[in-house]
Amino acid sequence: MARLLDIGLERITNLILDMGHLSEDLVNSALESYEKGTMMRAQIFEGSEKLRFLQIEVTDFATELIARYQPVSKDLRFIQSSMDAAYGFSIFGRYAYDIAEVMETIGPLADCDKSEVSLMAKTAKDMISLSVKSLEKLDKNASQKLYMMDDSVDSIFRKYLKKVLTQTKKRNFQPRCYVSALLILRYLERISDHACYIGDSVHYVVTGDASPRR
Amino acid sequence: MAIEESLERKEALVESVKYKVSIENVDGWYGTKRAIKDINLKVREKTVTAFIGPSGCGKTTLIRCLNRMHEMTPGARVDGRIIVDGINIYDKSIDAVIIRRRIGMVFQKPNPFPTMSIFENVAAGLRLNGINNKTIIREIVEESLKNAALWDEVKNELHIPGMSLSGGQQQRLCIARALAMQPEVLLMDEPTSSLDPIGASKIEELVRTLKDSVTIIIVTHNMQQAARVSDFTAFMYLGDMIEYGATNQIFMKPEKELTERYVSGKFV
Repeated sequence: MARLLDIGLERITNLILDMGHLSEDLVNSALESYEKGTMMRAQIFEGSEKLRFLQIEVTDFATELIARYQPVSKDLRFIQSSMDAAYGFSIFGRYAYDIAEVMETIGPLADCDKSEVSLMAKTAKDMISLSVKSLEKLDKNASQKLYMMDDSVDSIFRKYLKKVLTQTKKRNFQPRCYVSALLILRYLERISDHACYIGDSVHYVVTGDASPRR
Repeated sequence: MAIEESLERKEALVESVKYKVSIENVDGWYGTKRAIKDINLKVREKTVTAFIGPSGCGKTTLIRCLNRMHEMTPGARVDGRIIVDGINIYDKSIDAVIIRRRIGMVFQKPNPFPTMSIFENVAAGLRLNGINNKTIIREIVEESLKNAALWDEVKNELHIPGMSLSGGQQQRLCIARALAMQPEVLLMDEPTSSLDPIGASKIEELVRTLKDSVTIIIVTHNMQQAARVSDFTAFMYLGDMIEYGATNQIFMKPEKELTERYVSGKFV
């Protein structure tokens, strides 16, 4: 016989996974709009708001589950981590919006070199995807992989920052391109951090221990 | 140097942990039935330890072994050693009555002496133990009722029958009765199972307060209660001690799969 709590846990799982997939789509759309120069701020804002409401729903529902069933052990760890993951996915949505807003603020970027952003975007997107999958499969080992990927993201960001500082001294320095890229790289770097935190949460659900990297 | 100092401090801390009760290789028998099997457990002084587990797992048998009440059941016996403050309470030279005075017990259902007043319920044990000085008795009764968080509710009607109190008050009266003997260890066998939530929460608050002066061992079927009131939890199953550890660890990250299943309510 299924426990009443199991019905709640299934619902919260579905909510979290919906959030994960939506946040993945939003970040992908935002990056695509940067690469192709299409304006998608309104749609991405709508998605980001949806994620924010879903996060509130997850928190409310998680609180209700705790109050009703007083779960312990893995059940409690799962609920606790669901709230953390919901926050992470909501943050992805917020950064997707920030990425979309860069073009609105700075203007067309068709003439800019976007190779570094594309390089980091690929890893960041993979990290979001892996964080969602780790939650779906409760894969405790994803955390390690995510941190390794995060190292490469951090490395790209640091290199680009140094490059910008060097470029500012040059006569043909185009602040529009560098500032936009730097902002987006920063958002992607933060997205990668939050993907790691989601991996940490999954590790905690499965093992009861903090991730070895934290 | 810093590391050495730290190690010394750690060693001193380990040495300072005082175990009030050590249960060593204890078996509890009812005739030929071995109800508890080779139990080993050390209970720290002035802490609350909860025994949890499904019905029939041996929690009550174990707690009854701790003040030699188990042997009062015809055909029952205990093997192994139970050490309280360095003394084996099952040593042949030890008087079981003295042990029961040092290790008090509160039962599932409140059981005040039916014909006695509130005052006499608390004073009865003192009188039985030869204390007849009225001033001393009055002082101990008042202190015990205060420690049991009952004084304010009954101080103006100490003469009325103990049975006229509510269930929760009766249970606190029984706790006061046990405290009057100034026990070092207090055993509580499902002390809130017959009480309403308010009565139960008062007992839980009391348990938290009493642990400053008494070592408490509580048997409970209510896991949330164990989580709320205890510092350490022991999970028993079919007479075996499956897992024993800090309550936080037992409820957040149990080591044994069986414990995990029990505390999560997945037990079949």
